[in-house]
Amino acid sequence: MTTPPIQLVDVTKDFKGHRATDSLSLEFKSGTTVGLLGPNGAGKTTCLKMMLGLLRPTSGSISILGQDVVSNGPKVRQKIGYVPEDPWLYPWMTVQQVVRFASSIYESWDAARATELLGQFELPPDRIIKKLSKGMRVKAALVVALAHRPQVLVLDEPMSGLDPLVRDDLIATLLSARAENTECIVLSSHQIDDVNRLADEVAIIHAGKLLVHSSIDDLLGSTKRVEAVLLDGRLPEKPLPQTVWQNIDRRNWSMTVHPFDETMLAALQANNPISSARIVDLSVEQIFKDMIRGAMSPCFVH
Amino acid sequence: MGDRMIVDPQSPIPIFQQVASQLRQQIAAGVYKPNEALPSQRRLAQEIHVNPNTIQKAYDELAREGFIESRRGAGLFVVDRSRAEVAGQAERRLGRDLSRAIANALTSGISPHRIRTLFREALQLEVASSSRRLT
Repeated sequence: MTTPPIQLVDVTKDFKGHRATDSLSLEFKSGTTVGLLGPNGAGKTTCLKMMLGLLRPTSGSISILGQDVVSNGPKVRQKIGYVPEDPWLYPWMTVQQVVRFASSIYESWDAARATELLGQFELPPDRIIKKLSKGMRVKAALVVALAHRPQVLVLDEPMSGLDPLVRDDLIATLLSARAENTECIVLSSHQIDDVNRLADEVAIIHAGKLLVHSSIDDLLGSTKRVEAVLLDGRLPEKPLPQTVWQNIDRRNWSMTVHPFDETMLAALQANNPISSARIVDLSVEQIFKDMIRGAMSPCFVH
Repeated sequence: MGDRMIVDPQSPIPIFQQVASQLRQQIAAGVYKPNEALPSQRRLAQEIHVNPNTIQKAYDELAREGFIESRRGAGLFVVDRSRAEVAGQAERRLGRDLSRAIANALTSGISPHRIRTLFREALQLEVASSSRRLT
């Protein structure tokens, strides 16, 4: 199959006086898990809801498994497992009733898989949803999302508000979901560590715009911090054009550069009044923070 | 059995490299002996809670370096190699790491003479502490 399972082309979504996504283009390949990262209000949830056809883009197009979501919403949703940020389910129903209800909605429902997941998560079938803890509710939503053996799995902040042991449980389940017929998993999250364990790729968005979409390993290899020391009383003259964030504090000139290669150091030395410069490796979390800080305000001078 | 290996998602080192270097150490230490099978990609992924593609990447790297080989239908096995070969590989890696550290030191204005002294001190310290560990 050559069509990517998830494809967004130039997707803009306007709410009243507010642009939630701005010409967002993304393509997720088969066999990958992608972490959608961004600060609160970046447009992550809007983006995920549009992938499911629950929100209609103002302009642009979205196709899931080769089908346009706007014109084929119900058909596409049959193939997607979705866990929303705060799974509501049906608060008055029992776990068992929710599962039975879901089984009537999805054509490809696998009852044996549902039973297996309920057991694995130790979910009490007779408890009503309202009485479940947040972690249990997420697990119940995950049972519904996985038991129809979806080809695409979409998870909105699945780890937020969960204790570390429940998160571990969830990570293990998601890892086993990959081994089944799920072609593509997209999860939005603030837990960058979890994303780093689970995902192959990250897409970082800010104010509705895509800042970077890359494999995690490539991102680590191609994003570096350069720490330079300015000569007394001097300021940078020609920062590297690939600088995504920089900070000047007395003589210390720090910059995060993407994409970086080591030959840039010579250009930096030649064009700026600096006495030294060294390269520092960054973690995914540091890269994320620098990209967001840089997008918010390009340079701080103390 | 989550302590077969420790993975730090906060580290700047890609997770597949963290896994590869721990596997190298475990092979060198005899945790996995020549002709012994390694855990499957899926099992190790589940155990240490990382993406299976990441484990695959680590295994690919070790296979490329000649530490392990895949045997049809049976999985991945530790290759029976001479100690000299293993050491040669480790030396090349050390060479790369040292060059990077030295380049950083030079741009920070540390003199070659001083680098030599610091290197000698660090080496003595490590040799002493590793001999303590072994006895």
